[in-house]
Amino acid sequence: MNFPLKFFASLALTFSLQAAPQVNVTDTTSRSIPISLTGFSGETRKVLEFDLFVAGFDLVDVSQAQYDLNGRVEGKTEGTLSDTANKASLFNRAYPGGTTRTQAHALADDVVQAITGRKGLRGTKIVFKVQRARTSEIYACDFDGSNPVQLTSDNNIVAAPAWKSGSRSIYYTSYRAGNADIYQQDLNTGARTAIVRFSGSNISPSPSADGSKLAMILSKAGSPDLWISDSSGGSLKRLTSTPADESSPCWSPDGSTLCVVSRESGYPLLYTIPASGGTLRKLTTGNVRNTTEPDWSPDGKWIAFTRQRGETFDICIVSATGGDAKVITEGEDPSWSPNSRTLIFTRRTGKYGSKHLSLLDWPTGHVKDSSRVDGSSSQPSWSR
Amino acid sequence: MKSFSKLATLTLLALLSSSAGCKKGTKNITPLPGYTKPPISGPITPGNPLGGANGNNGSGRPLPTDSGGSVPQDIIDKPKSTDLAGQTDREVIDGMVADREHFKANTVYFEFDKASVKASEKGNVTTVADFLKSKPEARLAVEGHCDERGTEEYNRSLGERRALSVREMLLNMGIAADRVVTRSFGEDKPSELGHDEAAWGKNRRGEFILLLPPASVR
Repeated sequence: MNFPLKFFASLALTFSLQAAPQVNVTDTTSRSIPISLTGFSGETRKVLEFDLFVAGFDLVDVSQAQYDLNGRVEGKTEGTLSDTANKASLFNRAYPGGTTRTQAHALADDVVQAITGRKGLRGTKIVFKVQRARTSEIYACDFDGSNPVQLTSDNNIVAAPAWKSGSRSIYYTSYRAGNADIYQQDLNTGARTAIVRFSGSNISPSPSADGSKLAMILSKAGSPDLWISDSSGGSLKRLTSTPADESSPCWSPDGSTLCVVSRESGYPLLYTIPASGGTLRKLTTGNVRNTTEPDWSPDGKWIAFTRQRGETFDICIVSATGGDAKVITEGEDPSWSPNSRTLIFTRRTGKYGSKHLSLLDWPTGHVKDSSRVDGSSSQPSWSR
Repeated sequence: MKSFSKLATLTLLALLSSSAGCKKGTKNITPLPGYTKPPISGPITPGNPLGGANGNNGSGRPLPTDSGGSVPQDIIDKPKSTDLAGQTDREVIDGMVADREHFKANTVYFEFDKASVKASEKGNVTTVADFLKSKPEARLAVEGHCDERGTEEYNRSLGERRALSVREMLLNMGIAADRVVTRSFGEDKPSELGHDEAAWGKNRRGEFILLLPPASVR
């Protein structure tokens, strides 16, 4: 029974019934939707602006807006969404309970849902790595960077945290035993287990979408290869046996295929391989080369990845079946949100400065930094 | 308990209204994306003590929920099987004493984005091999590292590939496979902090760590 209180709060919503909006789902439209906020101020306004911008909206003056969100906060948050062209009201709702912040997130999600038909991001979490001086720890935070919580305190090196889908459980690599081993940590209790700890590197854990399998890179057979196991590191199966190094595996949402980086051609390239075994097949990315860090969208359609060009890195997106990749924005290590549209990724301050997390609405190219914690934040993984 | 029964009532109401409201009401019920996922967190709770001395088990910290965190606990994990295909059993390695100084002058360096051992570095590998031949009770860890140019997990695999290349050379020089283990730190443990080739060249490296049985050290 880990239902958050806000679950109950949301169900206790009061609302006045309006005609249901005609929902037109155009998931990858690159046009931003102009919206104005009237009557809101302070924290509520900030949360609404943030949530709507990373959902592909442009915050504009009411005279240029296609939609207006009018409301106020008096204990509870109230909001009326209307179409500015015909003055038609799309909804009029109140949000009692929770905090001002959670009320604002709930309202923003309702606006996104009413206008685009997409689900918002409220309640989703990010797990990531924070490096300070020569040590790093695992952290979790809300999707917008708020409420950061430190999940390890080993004064050692950690890497590649990944959320086990639909659960309060994460995987990551830690060097606390002197070797790169894969740990699973229960976020309810903090208890953890070293589930894969062979000699050599045990790195880059990646759970399948249904949580039943784990992909990883192990070097125990003499080269960094792709392996899969059950969710606790048992029943290991080796999928690649190239002399070159593989890295950063991820799963197709149906669990049938993996995407992984191999240096088989002498430089990093994305490949796919059946989870049941088979051969590596190049994923075409057009003119975009030096490709690493793939992440498969939850709807199965896209693969987001990092390409390196000289000393800069870019976030790119390609169809999951390959094709001409689109270069979206400068950054590294993208991770998809559950709605298959928003991504979180790592940005650098200056060329070799510290890293921080940022959100991307890829069709519109909207980019917004999350709240930061001290140190260098990287390797985000979105709960989904 | 009072609040629990209140919650239970609300749950019941919620279930009733969601099942009854499928036809007409659901549009106006705010969907809760990911409510089976981790909820919004509360304050940071104090951490728990670290685990065992050599770190084979131990606890991380819980992620608090709105209803508060629970008590962390240690799980004593049993290592998995040791099908190591040539690499040494972890239990043997974990019990040995590491001397990071002994081969400090023998570190080998790599070309950018390459994992093969350069001819110029072979002398250092030979020195290490000769020492191991003279000291049969000793073992070795080879640690592979990268410069900061490259993505993190890519570099972690590349560093491992570098360490494995050095190991292969040692094996070709007659060192038994079960005496040499590999590790990779990717770009996480630079020896130089600069952002130019002078620093990068020193960071693309393989370090040799001498491992001795506990009895022989003292």
